[in-house]
Amino acid sequence: MKDVMRFAFILTLTAAVTSGSLAYVNSVTRPRITARQNAEMKEALHYVLQGSEKGIIESVFQNGEIVFYKGYQKPDKRDLIGYAFVASGQGYSSEIQTMVGVNPQGKILRVRILFQQETPGLGTRCEEIRKNESVPWWQRQFQGTDAQSIKVDKDGGAIESITGATITSRAITESIALKTKIVLQKTDQKDN
Amino acid sequence: MSPGKELIKGFYTENPVFRLMLGLCPVLATSTSVNNGIGMGAATLFVLVCSNVVISLIRKAIPAKIRIPIFIMIIATFVTIVDLVMAGFFPELHESLGIFISLIVVNCIILGRAEAYASKNNVFYAFIDGLGMGLGFTLSMILISSIREILGNGTWLGLEVFGSGYNPVLLMILSPGAFFTIGLLMSFLSWFEGRRSSCVTNF
Repeated sequence: MKDVMRFAFILTLTAAVTSGSLAYVNSVTRPRITARQNAEMKEALHYVLQGSEKGIIESVFQNGEIVFYKGYQKPDKRDLIGYAFVASGQGYSSEIQTMVGVNPQGKILRVRILFQQETPGLGTRCEEIRKNESVPWWQRQFQGTDAQSIKVDKDGGAIESITGATITSRAITESIALKTKIVLQKTDQKDN
Repeated sequence: MSPGKELIKGFYTENPVFRLMLGLCPVLATSTSVNNGIGMGAATLFVLVCSNVVISLIRKAIPAKIRIPIFIMIIATFVTIVDLVMAGFFPELHESLGIFISLIVVNCIILGRAEAYASKNNVFYAFIDGLGMGLGFTLSMILISSIREILGNGTWLGLEVFGSGYNPVLLMILSPGAFFTIGLLMSFLSWFEGRRSSCVTNF
């Protein structure tokens, strides 16, 4: 009985010290991590809505959450470039988040994967950049496709799936198609 | 027990991957390219040295019956600290290593060395052991991932090895390739070791 109390005390003490130090490290690093994520988000928005650097990007809210973004070429909200949104889908080993830019007709402008933790060497190749190139080859093939009907080649579509990572390829492709449908429905309602 | 011997034992005689056969799951999963191999090796090396040192420091205060949960708490704390600090201060490094960091918690080399070595030796030797084992692990990772990347992708560290005519053996990058590579390397080392020791015992 005496041992049980002693062990419980030591374990509690260890847990307190370790979680305390983690809380401290977290409090130091959290603001930096958030700032970096925000900067990355902004960078990705400007990337998928090419031409919006000199214009303005407006967030469209629903129930207090950002549903999608509208990008304009001019700061006074003229010359709509298109819409941007984050599509997320369950991949092989992680929830993959992709920033997508589409023009008002639903054609994909550009995509950028924001977050993935897929199998190294297989699924992670969705972000692989070939030598002498600046854009990941796999993500580039989305440009100009009709966002609502994209499919990977194994499902009869035009998107070449990554060798050994069909699940990853399919997850990203399907999440983009699905989210585009939702967003375009919302923009139609607004415009009418 | 000499510091030099303790340092180099992780390279061959007690190599964590080929001799102790510890931490094979991350080896299988992350040896698909040399870049990943080095990343996983470096991250493991760091956590191994830190956890060995701390566990050795408090080894006399830990009751034997509850040592495992305490080791795990310390290891998980270090791994999380590395993850957070990297994400906050070295975002580029975190970008490429981030996925491996959380794998280290379940890497049994770390717990194995805490249990078998750091909890029984002083801080200096625990540090040397962590360093040697970590370097041995990193070298094994580089060896395995070199074989897999060269055969399976035709490249080494991203550089073309065979030229454009080479048709990569994709299987080597997929999971079976990891089993083939590690199995063949292990059997080769056992064969080599068997020959070596039979020469020695002839005296």
